[in-house]
Amino acid sequence: MGGQTGMKEKEIANPIRRVDAIAKCTGKQKYLADYHFPGMIYARMVRSTIARGKIIDIHVPSLPDGYYFISYKDIPPEGKNELWMIQKDWKAFAEHEVRYVGETIGLLCGPDRNMLAALREKVVIDYQETEAAISIEEGLACKGGAFVGENNIFCDMTTNSGEDVTKVFARADRVFEETYRTGFQEHVHLEPNGAAVIKENGRFVVYASAQCPFYIRKSICGLLALKPEDIIVRQTSTGGAFGGKEHFPDVLCGPLLVACNKIGKPIQLAFDRSEDMAFSVKRHPSKTTIRTALDKQGNIMGMDIDILYNVGGYLSCSFVVLQRGVFHATGCYAIPSTRIRGRGVATNTFPSDAFRGFGAPQTLFAIERHMCHLATFLNMEPLELKKKYLIKQGDRTNTNGKIFEEVKLPEMIRQITDASDYYRKVKEYKPGCLKGIGLSVYNHGGAFTGNGEQVLIKAHVKLHKYSDGTVEILIGSTEMGQGFQSACRKIVSQILDISIDKTIYENPDTSRVCDSGPTAASRSTMIVGKLVQDAAEQMRDRYAQEDDFEVETVYKHPEGFPWDQEKFQGDAYIAYGWGAAVVEVKVDPLTFEVDTKGIWVSHDVGHPLDELVIHGQVNGGVMQSLGYASMELLENKKGYFKQDSLSDYVIPTSMDFPPMESFLVDNPYPFGPFGAKGMGELVFNGADSAYVEAVSKAINRKICEIPIPPETIMELMEHGN
Amino acid sequence: METKIDFTLNGKKVSVTSDPMRRLVDVLRDDFSLEGTKEGCGEGECGACSVIKDGLLVTSCLVPIGAVQDSEVLTIEGLSETERGKCLSEAFADGGAVQCGFCIPGMMMAADYLLMGNPHPSETDIRLGISGNLCRCTGYDLIVESIKLASERGQGLW
Amino acid sequence: MVSTFIPRTLQEALAIRRETEAHPFAGGTDLMVAYYRGVGVTPVFPWPVMLISGLEELKGIQKDTQGNVIIGALEISAHIAENPLVPWHVRQAAGRMGAISLRNQATIGGNIGNASPKGDLPATLILLDAMVELQRVGAKRLMKVDDFILATKKTQLAPDELITKVIIPEPQKEFTYVWYRKIGTRRANAISKLSLSAAITLSEEGLIEDFRASSGAAGPKVERSREVEKLLIGRDIHDIEKLLPSFLDAYDTVICPHAMPEFRRLSTRKMLQYFLLQCVKRPQSQIII
Repeated sequence: MGGQTGMKEKEIANPIRRVDAIAKCTGKQKYLADYHFPGMIYARMVRSTIARGKIIDIHVPSLPDGYYFISYKDIPPEGKNELWMIQKDWKAFAEHEVRYVGETIGLLCGPDRNMLAALREKVVIDYQETEAAISIEEGLACKGGAFVGENNIFCDMTTNSGEDVTKVFARADRVFEETYRTGFQEHVHLEPNGAAVIKENGRFVVYASAQCPFYIRKSICGLLALKPEDIIVRQTSTGGAFGGKEHFPDVLCGPLLVACNKIGKPIQLAFDRSEDMAFSVKRHPSKTTIRTALDKQGNIMGMDIDILYNVGGYLSCSFVVLQRGVFHATGCYAIPSTRIRGRGVATNTFPSDAFRGFGAPQTLFAIERHMCHLATFLNMEPLELKKKYLIKQGDRTNTNGKIFEEVKLPEMIRQITDASDYYRKVKEYKPGCLKGIGLSVYNHGGAFTGNGEQVLIKAHVKLHKYSDGTVEILIGSTEMGQGFQSACRKIVSQILDISIDKTIYENPDTSRVCDSGPTAASRSTMIVGKLVQDAAEQMRDRYAQEDDFEVETVYKHPEGFPWDQEKFQGDAYIAYGWGAAVVEVKVDPLTFEVDTKGIWVSHDVGHPLDELVIHGQVNGGVMQSLGYASMELLENKKGYFKQDSLSDYVIPTSMDFPPMESFLVDNPYPFGPFGAKGMGELVFNGADSAYVEAVSKAINRKICEIPIPPETIMELMEHGN
Repeated sequence: METKIDFTLNGKKVSVTSDPMRRLVDVLRDDFSLEGTKEGCGEGECGACSVIKDGLLVTSCLVPIGAVQDSEVLTIEGLSETERGKCLSEAFADGGAVQCGFCIPGMMMAADYLLMGNPHPSETDIRLGISGNLCRCTGYDLIVESIKLASERGQGLW
Repeated sequence: MVSTFIPRTLQEALAIRRETEAHPFAGGTDLMVAYYRGVGVTPVFPWPVMLISGLEELKGIQKDTQGNVIIGALEISAHIAENPLVPWHVRQAAGRMGAISLRNQATIGGNIGNASPKGDLPATLILLDAMVELQRVGAKRLMKVDDFILATKKTQLAPDELITKVIIPEPQKEFTYVWYRKIGTRRANAISKLSLSAAITLSEEGLIEDFRASSGAAGPKVERSREVEKLLIGRDIHDIEKLLPSFLDAYDTVICPHAMPEFRRLSTRKMLQYFLLQCVKRPQSQIII
């Protein structure tokens, strides 16, 4: 980064008006359901109503002219009934075997949605139902018989660091062991899932509310024995995603592609909310057991951690979710010796998939609870114990890697403990007095693990200057509310010193843009943004002289960060986002409802690309995390989600939490654009633990599981330890 | 069983012949191509489909068109044409209220409705005023700030 | 093909009801959700439906010469919540129903007629011995709301009747202290998990002249027991600590015994206890919080 970027760094943080704001405020912004094509027909999904078994017969009512029932039988013989996510196990259509309630069996297609609704009510499916496994325990016990491998384990991974953990535990004076659980969570992106497939000039074109247009074409092309580049995918402005539209659009687009191929008309599939709630991917429920070896003085000698995630019926991207859970299992702490094992368990529930945090929230919750309870066990104040083990620059990670950056947690903790008056309150609020205050620390490794960026993604970025002086950013990254379109245009505008109105960044069309990798893993700013910056810098010298030209940049992994994907050893991440949160609560003794009195958070995102955007992301992520802890109960009974509407599955309203006080620390990342690191998921990863700690103190009960709605608080107060 | 329903839509007299049980949200989106009104849940929970009908904020997914006879309906498109709507859009845009934007038309309608009844709302008033509009992206703080900004800038508009 | 009617007057509505048993459709906030079928799809009802939200005759809030409050069945809960003629408890419940837009659409007649155990208004109406007026062509009758609602989604509404008014009698003496608490699934825009409405009238010396309590979302219908209330009526508020245990146990049996989550039982108990113990202190404010 050159000298002149010093001033540019300060400027870049200044908020601008988002480029899409006015269109969204006036109702002019189009979303998937607002696209209409000549002759377009609609599709409704027909799904399994049992959790496990075989389809014996499908009775489709007699269909009027222009109506079709599309199933696996309509996949051409050269095609394969597969959706290629990581593996090719998830089928586009169930054939004979059904693995979960909601599995796609067919699409009813036709011009009138009222008729489709009526027809769908008349479809009758005969099943031979068998015993289903729903919980992690049932999956492990192979209830009903294993349906994945021999023991219902999709993936099993272990990483070690420091001295062999068995030897360490053998010499331990005491062992402190506890188990922690987290539940399902639903994304509730305000725009439900939706996609449309049309044919244009002989090619299939997919319109989708999606995070990863390039993933979609790779996933579904095999259905028609096509190559990914044969299919064009155009992302439509996405009304929220949070991971729920990372792989899941494949589940809509695959069947739609088959249907469009068969029928020859444009087809749209737009979920209604009840379908989205009941039949879409969720966050993996987890069960994490942490055993800590202590010496006579109460020092931590080592940790042995066992992690189980409920994967559901198909793998989706659970391998990678679990992987991240494993790497975040020791949180922000330097632990001398560790062994961390993660297993993804097959169950007959709707496959779980990406959700902001991507496996880290579950294990970060566990380690934060563990450190708080361990502190009590050792007669220490939780923050005192946490500070003792806070990881620092140069420390070894739990994969025998290193922390390369300065870890500013001490400063961040100071900011929020000062602002919240934490130390006075933690002394004054005696356990059980119904007032409580809790602090958590958390992090999030930026971008794809290890050398995934180099080996798996290989992001490309292209800029095109046109003769009228405008510059178009041609990347596959998608805008889903996080402000990435504005951020990139800002970067280009700053570096080329042109007005932001002269920059163009439209929703990606895979036939026009480079594959810059998925819009996920908090990698967009950090990796793609940097490539955009590099490309703009390359363009700068030529901008004035040349009329019409392109610059392309390709990701190159920095040297010096070795990673062994087989043994999970080395530098899992080059850099992390860091966070700290304080939450203060008051519990109502009559109704067990919790009144949150204050929220104070601080984050290290390297350097802000736009302070207002960061503020908004922090608010949103923290609120989602608080919802995860306090009210978003999602139970699966016999394969069905019990809370399957927005009145039963409750997310926070504007009245549920007070305004937040948010701090940032500056810690520029050398390989990020203007020093920025990823932040989209970091902001989810910690408020839940701070909230739970506060409630735990307020009621003087141990809490090892979320969510904790009032009923659970009552249980703990009346019957807990 | 089609019925002719006459009503005023964004200040203009219009007519639709329809099954009276068709939902107002569908009539607006499909018959009048006014797609700014969004369907987020279909059960009146999320507020994304909010319109103002006869001076009251309502969720159009629950209103049958048969109940709209002789009514006055204002949608986000109509609001956007007014000075109040422009003030709100500018404030939302400047205040960082907009992320994915799907909840925003409903929030705009709720904000206009709030300010019509209370041109100088407190923070609590604002939070109550938008409590029927769910947002998953913003955590609400900047939407509240933006509405405050609109009320400060929009002296005399409400 | 099921019909939809849009009557212009109450008489027309009653005539249609008599002929076709068409279901009254007021705000639609229950029916449109119950019969939702998807994006762009019109709800289909298994019976004929009558859109009555335009009937002005069924609107209005007045007080009659006896002090009874008369609320038209089609009054929306937003109006009920802000009208000073409406008794305090009912205004509290009306103001906490759903969210602002729901309150602008949902009617008191619909809320009673739907008879959902989680409905907000019935618990307060039953507390106050409110009545409904039911009309059919050529006839009217009055019935206590507590008798009108039989169980979940079951009322005494005859197939040719419509709810036309809600009548809330003025209590003999103004309540000394009142209580209303709704525990929702969250702080706003919430379905009721439990509600407790209570009221007490005390003489100067502390004699309990009147006591009432009703629990909402605590069973298939609102729970209120005059027998249990009588355990306190006539007693001295200063004896409340002695009376509480047996009173609370008795109230506990009033709340539905089947599959009643402990959370609701315990919270009800605590709220009642708190209310009564606060009353002993004879605070200034009529509203106990």
